[in-house]
Amino acid sequence: MQSMLTKFESKSSRAKGIAFHPKRPWILVSLHTSTIQLWDYRMGTLIDRFEEHDGPVRGIDFHRTQPLFVSGGDDYKIKVWSYQTRRCLFTLNGHLDYVRTVFFHHELPWILSSSDDQTIRIWNWQNRSLICTMTGHNHYTMCAQFHPKEDLIVSASLDQSVRVWDISGLRKKHSAPTSMTFEDQMARANTNQADMFGNTDAVVKFVLEGHDRGVNWVSFHPTLPLIISAGDDRNVKLWRMSETKAWEVDTCRGHFQNSSACLFHPHQDLILSVGEDKTIRVWDLNKRTAVQSFKRENDRFWVIAAHPEINLFAAGHDNGVMVFKLERERPAYAIHQNSLFFINKEKHVRSFDFTQNIQSPSMLSLKKLGAPWVPPRTLSYNPAERSILVTSPTDGGIYELINLPKDASGAVEPTDTKRGAGNSAVFVARNRFAVFNSSSQTIDIKDLSNSTTKTIKTPTSINDIYFGGTGCLLLCASSTVILYDIQQKKTVAELAVSGVKYVVWSNDGLHVALLSKHNVTIVTKTLEQVSSLHETIRIKSATWDDVGVLLYSTLNHIKYTLLNGDNGIIRTLDETIYLTKVKGRSLFCLDRQAKPKLLDIDPTEYRFKLALVKRNYDEMLSIIKTSNLVGQSIISYLQKKGYPEIALQFVQDPQTRFELAIECGNLEVAVEMAKELDRPKLWTRLSAEALNQGNHQVVEMAYQKLRSFDKLSFLYLVTGDTEKLNRMAKIAEHRNDYTARFQNAIYLGDVETRIQMLKEIDLYPLAYVTAKAHGLNEECEAILEASGLTEQDIRIPEISVPISPPRAIVPTHQTNWPLRAASQSFFEKALLGQVESMTIEDEAPSGTNGFGTGEDADDGKRFNGDLLDVEGEEDAAGWDMGDDDLNLEQADELAVETDGTGVGMSEAELWARNSPIAADHVAAGSFETAMQLLNRQVGAVNFEPLKPRFMEIYQASKTYLPATVGLPPLVNYVRRTVEETDSRKILPAIPRDLESVRTNYLQKGFAAMKANNLEEGVKIFRGVLHNLMLTTVQNKSEIEEAKKIIRTATEYIIAMSIELERRSIAADESQTKRNLELSAYFTKPTLELPHRQIALMSAMKLAYTKKNHVLAAHFASRVLANSSQGKNAENARKIKTVSERSGQDAIEIEYDQFAEFDICAASYTPIYSGQPFVQDPFTGSKYHPRYKGSICRVSQVTEIGAPASGLRLLAQ
Amino acid sequence: MDPFSPEGELLTIHNAFHGGQYSAVINHDTSGLSAENSIPSRVYKLRSQIASSQAEGIAAELEGEDSPDLAILKAYAEYSQGNTEDSVKTVESLVEASPDNATVQIIGATVLHVEGRSEEALTLLSKHQGNLEAVALVVQIRLSQNRTDLALKEVLNAKRWAQDSLLVNLAESWVGLRIGGERYQQAYYVYEELAQAPSTSTPRALIGQAVSELHLGRLPEAEVALQQALEKNPTHGDALANMIVLSVLAGKEFDEYLSSLQNAAPSHPFLTNVAQKSELFDKAAAKYTAKVGA
Repeated sequence: MQSMLTKFESKSSRAKGIAFHPKRPWILVSLHTSTIQLWDYRMGTLIDRFEEHDGPVRGIDFHRTQPLFVSGGDDYKIKVWSYQTRRCLFTLNGHLDYVRTVFFHHELPWILSSSDDQTIRIWNWQNRSLICTMTGHNHYTMCAQFHPKEDLIVSASLDQSVRVWDISGLRKKHSAPTSMTFEDQMARANTNQADMFGNTDAVVKFVLEGHDRGVNWVSFHPTLPLIISAGDDRNVKLWRMSETKAWEVDTCRGHFQNSSACLFHPHQDLILSVGEDKTIRVWDLNKRTAVQSFKRENDRFWVIAAHPEINLFAAGHDNGVMVFKLERERPAYAIHQNSLFFINKEKHVRSFDFTQNIQSPSMLSLKKLGAPWVPPRTLSYNPAERSILVTSPTDGGIYELINLPKDASGAVEPTDTKRGAGNSAVFVARNRFAVFNSSSQTIDIKDLSNSTTKTIKTPTSINDIYFGGTGCLLLCASSTVILYDIQQKKTVAELAVSGVKYVVWSNDGLHVALLSKHNVTIVTKTLEQVSSLHETIRIKSATWDDVGVLLYSTLNHIKYTLLNGDNGIIRTLDETIYLTKVKGRSLFCLDRQAKPKLLDIDPTEYRFKLALVKRNYDEMLSIIKTSNLVGQSIISYLQKKGYPEIALQFVQDPQTRFELAIECGNLEVAVEMAKELDRPKLWTRLSAEALNQGNHQVVEMAYQKLRSFDKLSFLYLVTGDTEKLNRMAKIAEHRNDYTARFQNAIYLGDVETRIQMLKEIDLYPLAYVTAKAHGLNEECEAILEASGLTEQDIRIPEISVPISPPRAIVPTHQTNWPLRAASQSFFEKALLGQVESMTIEDEAPSGTNGFGTGEDADDGKRFNGDLLDVEGEEDAAGWDMGDDDLNLEQADELAVETDGTGVGMSEAELWARNSPIAADHVAAGSFETAMQLLNRQVGAVNFEPLKPRFMEIYQASKTYLPATVGLPPLVNYVRRTVEETDSRKILPAIPRDLESVRTNYLQKGFAAMKANNLEEGVKIFRGVLHNLMLTTVQNKSEIEEAKKIIRTATEYIIAMSIELERRSIAADESQTKRNLELSAYFTKPTLELPHRQIALMSAMKLAYTKKNHVLAAHFASRVLANSSQGKNAENARKIKTVSERSGQDAIEIEYDQFAEFDICAASYTPIYSGQPFVQDPFTGSKYHPRYKGSICRVSQVTEIGAPASGLRLLAQ
Repeated sequence: MDPFSPEGELLTIHNAFHGGQYSAVINHDTSGLSAENSIPSRVYKLRSQIASSQAEGIAAELEGEDSPDLAILKAYAEYSQGNTEDSVKTVESLVEASPDNATVQIIGATVLHVEGRSEEALTLLSKHQGNLEAVALVVQIRLSQNRTDLALKEVLNAKRWAQDSLLVNLAESWVGLRIGGERYQQAYYVYEELAQAPSTSTPRALIGQAVSELHLGRLPEAEVALQQALEKNPTHGDALANMIVLSVLAGKEFDEYLSSLQNAAPSHPFLTNVAQKSELFDKAAAKYTAKVGA
């Protein structure tokens, strides 16, 4: 009985009746204690209880299509219930004793009941009436069932007989009356013998006698004219009937107590019966021999039911019910490249070609393998020898090695097979296979002649073995999986994963999916865990996409998971399937009948996520352009993952588009949407964002829409747009808004208007003072005259010289300052088709962090080059450093070990022990070690600037939970490893991660650059550097990204510092040479394109005004090289033309446009290529050697030229 | 009959006290209680007064009372008002004299633990007989010693005989918040249940909920709960401290909360801790200098 599989068990009082729902995973159980339970046997949950019967409930049945069920009990009542409204709809009264069984008719609105009152009754549940009472049995009728197709009823009674009844008369009577002709009526009257009460609706057709005691149960065969019955004589009897007679065929003897119920297997030639001898027995229908039996220790069985569709049975006993199946339904199969080999229900070996979608004819018949009713368990394929290994659970486990015939020519019996005992058998090499024996816990390695070459004792008690890569096996134990090297007979790796049942290798052999009942764990080929996920529904099978996505099936879904654990649903399933292969949109699988199937799936979602993970913008683009299947889920996913600008591409709804556009700073779209929606709130938000970006043209439009006159005036003032400011003054006049007029007059420095306005509102004293202050004596007199006073009459306070409002130096209103695009601007550019070669991203993965413009690839290379230089110079020092680090950590470890007396180690101490990252030590409050780490990693020596960051991290490390009254709060430690409970792996949460630095602070820095707010900008970028010095990242690609951001911030700090230096001396005529030099150096650091243009334009203009024409022409050309259109370009073109005509420089400066050089970040002088220099270990900025040992001007924390091992941001 | 059982007279007052609803305890009508419960209910009321900083006058009120319960409360009232030396002595003598009195155990252990004599506190508490409050106290002391393993053992023991008690549930949550992983969620459920039921929704419950959510990484939800706690009591030190932690994690401004905390609870562990670390920073930073001055 080893192959009977229990799927569900419930504990309750005695279960007397059972019914399966035909579609849902539900089972109704009626109990001896008057309760009816509704269980979900798949989830194992009790859905509902129905308690209206008085006393035991014996009969129960689901309606096939309606949300109804019927029950009958010892209270003589038949109740019809709705499981939707969860109540009893009505009660059918009429029986005079216990009701034993109730069944719905498969198509008519009838209920059939049998009762201890010796009658069988048929009820119409639509009009709730009794339509037929069948009498004839002269003892309790224990069971009565409809025939599944014909108008027949079979009944069993304690009077030892089984009766078959003809109810065609009843059907005719209750069908439409017109269908019955006179002849019919005549015929019916003649053929249908009336019973003794003159009842012709239901007449006894056969009386079957053979049982020696009462008969408890009887049922029809679903298709054949057969009847099976079970009785207190402990026998199960098989009967056959023809049109005219019925007879006993045979008896199944075996139960040693009363047999309480029996049925035919719905799909196979089997009989199942249960009895009070506590057994379930399975019989061969054709031979009437016992096939299997299953015994419970203490519980007598009372009832058995079969699921009408799927291969499930349920049996009720003294203490509940069990749902089970007789055999595994997982077909045995193996996949090799484009072929699937499998064993079908007829035990024939077949193959299936994935490329052509063709199933081969049968190649072999394995009828003789194992016991007749036991399907083979597994199949392993050897492509070199074209042979298969098949295992079967028969006789405690056997295997057979069989050669496949060259051509599939039909189900021939295999010849020349090798066999032996074993629970699992897999090929491990071309000419070797491994056989696992569970009882002895040994693995035999055998050659193809089936002789054992080696025997391995398993390292621990295991359940199964799988192929583990060349020369290796994966051993699945109950709580671990072991990678075992067969050659060396030793464990290579071990991973704690519990209950692994199946193992699926990826196509490239680099990853393995370990499937257990509820978990999928993805590991590398060396058993390092990559990700893991949990399912509440049972996991059935899995297969890998070629791109490294795992598709898996549960009982009712097909799902996917990426290597990073990101998962989702692909589609739902009606029936359980076993995935075999996925190719593009085609998903191949085997169903439970072991037939190959092809499902159409939509891989868009996971392909897209994968592309996002791999930053494969090319692929994302093509998905966006071709797919119309992108829903809300993708949008919120992108937003959540921080890609609003990508999400923007999917959205149509203007409101959402606006939100996304604002979020990613895409003003163009935001403006468009704001225009479409035209709501003040949106305009306000738009103006705020546009102001952030410095796009004052959009700001202006928004203010206009909002009619914010004050703000508009001020905007015109700061952009120097006098003309519009004048217009604002006019508007104010029209509006009779004196405050606004006054304000505009102030902005314009227009004294006359101001006086005029003051006069208009009769504020003559103010008008007078204003005029006086500006020396407008005529006006003064006019005012005096108008008010009839003389100068002596009035006293005015002392007036100082009025200041006229400052004027904008550069009329910036003519054009916007160049705008910083959002961080993932590459993607948008790509979408707009502005980037020629999309492949840059693929070739240079280091450039894929959001600054991915074309130049960045070069930048990355330069950066690498620098690193190499440093290593060359400081080779020996670098090595020493490494050793130091090692000692440090060992010392820590030891200190920890000894510190374990009455008081335990706090979590903070664990953090410090678990991590080599400075930020984690800060969170742990271990500032000394954190500083030590930073000193070793990046040469930090001046920690003062890092203090805010230290305190910030430390402050966020603990929470305070008020607990017992009168005691201080309990301190708990905030982790970033929320799901981890292993004390060796927990790590602290660090505020402000890389993502927030990139999306927030970096952008602020760019905005400051754009807004020409350089002091602020330097501060912001330095904050970025300090932040990144103390942070953690999640993976290797983020390390690259952090490096990139450090580099960017460094370049900006240097650039801004140069420009600030220049401004500090710009007014000094004697320093014109230096002024020009600095403005030239300002163009040197690697800035984003628009910002580089700012630098170039300012250098060009300065050179031009100082008559350095050659230089001006040079910068002009560079401006034009960057962009050849727009105002800047026009300007540059003009200057270029003029300058080239002149062709000489007025002042010789130290700037060689043809030489390779870097800028020293301290002296702001060139370091020409080939000259010696030192570098800051953290920022990588370069200095003249004389600055070695001083503090880096960029970071203000690290020491220039200090030996350093490099910043650690990742824990492993 | 156990007075704390669901039918017992003291259950309401017991739950109110441990839920931090001190005013409800103080205003609880105890006139109808049976004689043997009059002292315990009075103990709760007095403790509530002390916990809500209304300790003045208690010492005078209890002058001359000679039952150990009230005597130790008198000492505790004095202790809470800063008269530590004398009151600790009184506590010591009471602990010596009647170590089996439940109130003496609880108050005595509380004082001893606060005084840093945790092992003595644990020894005293080990004499308790089925007193859940003692269990909770042991759990907290064990946790403050970072012995999560022993705390968990204590909780599991108590669960065997007091499955549904509020205190056991709370103590289990305290331990859960140390262990983490799935236990965060379980702790969250306990606190959320308390915080969402109007009758038990106190700042303490809300803070508990917020702390669990914070550990689960659900910052916006935690913020809502803390806001609610602060609405109920704008000067709750723990609520303010957690709000600061949350603000830092979420990258938000927290100056307002910091100044509130400094006003409301200048000796809150958060502040003392941070001040201490700030000093440590300066000391540690002073060890490093660049080779060459700038």
